[in-house]
Amino acid sequence: MKVSFFETVRYIPPEALPSGWPVASGIYDREAGAHAYEAMIERLQYVEELGFDWVSVSEHHYSPRILSPSPMVAAAFIAARLTRLTIALLGPIVPHSNPVRVAEELAMLDTLARGRLVVGLLRGTANEALSYDLNPQESRERTDEGMELILRAWTETQPFGWQGRHFQYRMVSIWPRPWQQPHPPTYALGTSREACEFAARHHLGCGVSYGPFEVMAKATRHYREACARHDWQPTREQIIYRANMIVADTDEEAHALLRAQPNQAPFALRPGVRDAVMTLDARNIAGEARSPVVAGALPTTFIGSPDTVVEQVRRARDVIGAGVLDLSLHPPGARDLEALTRALELFGKKVLPRIRDL
Amino acid sequence: MTDRPALVHLRGAGEPEPTAAHALLSQRFRVIVLEAGEPASTPDSLVRAIDRLGLETFNLLAGGAASRTALGVALQVPERVAALVLEAPTAISEERRVAELATPTLVLYGTLDPVTPAVGRRIATLMRNCHLVFVYAAGPTIGIDRPEAFAEVVGDFLERHEAFVIRRTATVIHP
Repeated sequence: MKVSFFETVRYIPPEALPSGWPVASGIYDREAGAHAYEAMIERLQYVEELGFDWVSVSEHHYSPRILSPSPMVAAAFIAARLTRLTIALLGPIVPHSNPVRVAEELAMLDTLARGRLVVGLLRGTANEALSYDLNPQESRERTDEGMELILRAWTETQPFGWQGRHFQYRMVSIWPRPWQQPHPPTYALGTSREACEFAARHHLGCGVSYGPFEVMAKATRHYREACARHDWQPTREQIIYRANMIVADTDEEAHALLRAQPNQAPFALRPGVRDAVMTLDARNIAGEARSPVVAGALPTTFIGSPDTVVEQVRRARDVIGAGVLDLSLHPPGARDLEALTRALELFGKKVLPRIRDL
Repeated sequence: MTDRPALVHLRGAGEPEPTAAHALLSQRFRVIVLEAGEPASTPDSLVRAIDRLGLETFNLLAGGAASRTALGVALQVPERVAALVLEAPTAISEERRVAELATPTLVLYGTLDPVTPAVGRRIATLMRNCHLVFVYAAGPTIGIDRPEAFAEVVGDFLERHEAFVIRRTATVIHP
């Protein structure tokens, strides 16, 4: 089992923040921002020392909760400061990006990091459609086309044009090309039928997130079946499961920590906006309609003492088929960084060595 | 009617006709569809057929194996072929002579085409004025699968040749 630490860039605000999304940028504190990125590097040095395989970064906009609107910049900073961790860029939000630019930046990162890069391509959460004025109804189609263009830009040897539905370029010929050939290990992230089938068609990995094991297993089963239809079989490492984990000395302590966490979505959309976006932005798990998490916090599927968590990881491996766990060990946006350090230490010393060989 | 430039489409036997792409292209070109006969048309027989139509210069479009015949026509009467469009070409011959052709050439492949674009890459490498374009979500019959996308790129290329790489549609949202 490979283990990835989901790095969310902890911005500790000097004063209380409003709760809605977007958060007014006028209350941003530049010292707190600069500190967040330096503290990230210190934390990741510890993460590296503990023996994690990957650090993952993600793209989110207009709130301090995960301070990485450009995961490329975050990844480049990490690549320059750390030497062993593989950087998992999970990932650029494809439908509102310029796919050629994404291909270029990822190829550049792969080269800077000499291949310490894996990539997840995704559609993004529903609210992200609002960040760059994307029509939510078009996000699925733009994601599929954008992902295909990124793969083409990485691999095509001749200058080429792209006559798409949503993207059009007359001339593409990227420099540098990726360090890893034909391209970095790449995952289509998401539980949807479309993401699973895209991954299968293009021999990519699949990444699912947050849901209970049995629900995530529906998606990974769909993915493996689709791969079989395309005459190949993914390795275990081609399935990532991102999840929340609360590990403490005892099961009771871990559950007490969960109870102490707010059970509401941080920086939520206004209800009128949220409901309108949801109706335009249909989501599914392996083809079955699902409604996105709108009110509650994301579920925590690993919780307990080290012994308990090791057993849960074993189950996740068996049920989901995941070979990579991408873990959030502490709620993004929570102020108590010492709690995060404690969780990292406990996980790194008491859990990680025992799940490595699963 | 006759002031529109001619576009000769050398199509394979049995392909549907007319297509939506033909209709779109005929707004800007005089589209003439020639069906490859039995035995397969040769560059000679094609040039004779085009002569009978009274065309001095023309654009030439061909797909699949007929691309080789179209390249043969360009080799035979290079001064009369204004531009070439090769749709999912699967064959090339006379590489040494093709490399000397200056004819503006557009090579198209659909991203769903199971055949790798190796022949197109070869043509693009050989010819000094050749452009490779992928048409998303199309198979080998691009004009049938994505007629609007096909007609736009073909029409733009035939009108502007290599300058078709310069965007000319406006992006202003609110003047």
